[in-house]
Amino acid sequence: MRKRLSLLLVCVLAFGLLGSSVALANKTVTVWAWDPAFNLYAMEEAAKIYNRTAPDVTIEIIETPWDDIQTRLTTAVMAGQTNSLPDIMLIQDNALMKNVIDFPGTFADLTNSGIDFNLFADFKVGLTSVDGKNYAVPFDNGAAISALRVDVLEQAGFTLADFTDITWSDFIAKGKVVLEKTGKPLLSIVAESPDLVMMCLQSAGTWLFDEDGEVFLANNEALKEVIRIYVELAKSGVMVQVNDWEQYISSFTRGTVAGTMNGCWIIGSIVQPEDQKGLWSVTNIPRLETVPNATNYSNQGGSSWVVRADSPNRDLAIDFLAKTFAGSVELYETILPSSGALATYLPAGDSQAYGVPHEYFGGQAIYADITQYAALVPQVKYGVYNYEARDAVGVAIAKVLAGLDIDSALREAEETVKFLMDF
Amino acid sequence: MAKPTSLKLHTKQNIVGWAFVIPASILIFTFFFYPIGKAFLLSFQTGFGANAQYAGLVNYKRLLSDNTFKTSLVNVLTFLVLQVPVMLLLALALAYTLNDHKLKFRALFRTALFLPCATSLVSYSIVFRSLFALDGFMNALLLNLNVIQSPINWLANPWTAKLVIMLALTWRWTGYNMIFFLSALQNIDRSIFEAAIIDGANGFNRFFKITIPMLKPIILLTAIMSTNGTLQLFDETVNITNGGPTNATLSISQYIYRLSFQYSPRFPYAAAMSFVVFVLVGILSAMQMRVGDKR
Repeated sequence: MRKRLSLLLVCVLAFGLLGSSVALANKTVTVWAWDPAFNLYAMEEAAKIYNRTAPDVTIEIIETPWDDIQTRLTTAVMAGQTNSLPDIMLIQDNALMKNVIDFPGTFADLTNSGIDFNLFADFKVGLTSVDGKNYAVPFDNGAAISALRVDVLEQAGFTLADFTDITWSDFIAKGKVVLEKTGKPLLSIVAESPDLVMMCLQSAGTWLFDEDGEVFLANNEALKEVIRIYVELAKSGVMVQVNDWEQYISSFTRGTVAGTMNGCWIIGSIVQPEDQKGLWSVTNIPRLETVPNATNYSNQGGSSWVVRADSPNRDLAIDFLAKTFAGSVELYETILPSSGALATYLPAGDSQAYGVPHEYFGGQAIYADITQYAALVPQVKYGVYNYEARDAVGVAIAKVLAGLDIDSALREAEETVKFLMDF
Repeated sequence: MAKPTSLKLHTKQNIVGWAFVIPASILIFTFFFYPIGKAFLLSFQTGFGANAQYAGLVNYKRLLSDNTFKTSLVNVLTFLVLQVPVMLLLALALAYTLNDHKLKFRALFRTALFLPCATSLVSYSIVFRSLFALDGFMNALLLNLNVIQSPINWLANPWTAKLVIMLALTWRWTGYNMIFFLSALQNIDRSIFEAAIIDGANGFNRFFKITIPMLKPIILLTAIMSTNGTLQLFDETVNITNGGPTNATLSISQYIYRLSFQYSPRFPYAAAMSFVVFVLVGILSAMQMRVGDKR
């Protein structure tokens, strides 16, 4: 019995060795990314395109939620075990700078890798570079859109043009009319999620940190203005607050809310209910009136591909990205219709696929429109302490809604962030 | 002749005993005690990775001026003071009721009450979140019963959010504690009660003079376990309220998680914070032992 067991063990070991040597001969690039319908799908299509010229390379795609990627990344780098990480990872743009600066040497510097970063939207290159060096291949577009139910607007006597290139006070005034005539709010938002606030800030080219990376909350006039708008939106009922993401999505898919404002990736959720086909339209977001340099364009969310610096497959991984996400218009043409994954790769914007009218949006060529918005998004640096500041602003908003004055709430928030930065 | 053999047997048994104990001990030491020791050393450092340096009590001093930490500490202590006693009393009352031999469908009730413990922490939290949503079941129920006139935004108000967390904790953990009480109750000799009845003790006296004293070690055990669990609260608050509104349900563990993985990683500081929790659990358990265990 014992002999048989050891024989079995030897067999298993030999088989394992054989297996790994086979894997070595056949080069494998591993990828971590989340969202099967969007990022993973794009990766699979990219692998197909790459395999036409390099059939011996296997792109192994492992679905990993963003929170897990961040946790595993932090743990691996802290423990000095970066070889447990894949060759390519998808990183949220708002966490990219933090990870690059906190974990120096972990991500490959792609500046002179042959990838032409001039071919990507400016704001996205700004988000993915640190100290003038490019650390990620930009992927999806988070250009902010204001998506509205045209049928509801019409009931209240408005058209989409009345909500295009407008200011926030205009938006609130018209939103009140819509609410009064149709009973429908124009916006919904997850309570204490500062996404809308951040979006408005970027539309004016400001952020929670100043150019030197110092926290910029208590004296940030743009932020104060945004919070005033937020409070007015909430108090007037033009915007309803819900408790979680599912409720947020169902608020407009069920039709209780007549619009939403977010990164353009939200389109994937808007187009779900069949009965609202043709009723939606997309336009730019309102601008802040009192803030200089305010625009009607912003960004929300979005992510980019990084390559592990000490990976044995580093050059192969870079070559793969260069020939697909940074070099294949065909890839973006393929993934656009079914996933709505809008590129920040500018040559793809000229493609025929982007000019095709979208049935769900009453024949509007939304992708062409959004690509135009993306080109106009002001550049900001999210910074290393972005998450700390986001949470603090979220708490500040909730306190203001509960009655605290904006100045004190932001002073508290600034102290909290300063405390977390001061180590 | 007999003596050497028995000695040999004794050594043999010893070796076998150690052979059984050693693998588990090695595993516990490498994966449990070693990391605890490492974390303790880490809590005296600043910086991270290869650049970490010893900096004495800096992290512990910092805790004293950390308002978010104080908020989270007050939050878990609130849960501890308000929820744990209610839950344990409820568990005790249920166990006492279900121990009644005349009660019909006892097994059914026991299973029903214990069933919540078989559900995953995350899934029951998500169910509670949707129950208490603005357009959720609770509001619909209360509106239809005319108890309230307009829906309550449970999770948006600091105190109602705390209440929902406490309700959820009670639902999930009462049955768990009840099982401990139930098994302890079944170990109490029935003749003691019979003797008490003959002596003329009424139900009230039997419960407080016999049941409670006999259950003391188990009450102590459940109290310590609940204290420990509440101080380490994570799944429920993350999934029901995500620490909100305005950090009113933020637990220490969630703050540690944020500091380690969501914010720029501060492992040494997070380690110091977890040792404060460790010490707190120790102090509270010691206090409970002093009060409860008079053996």
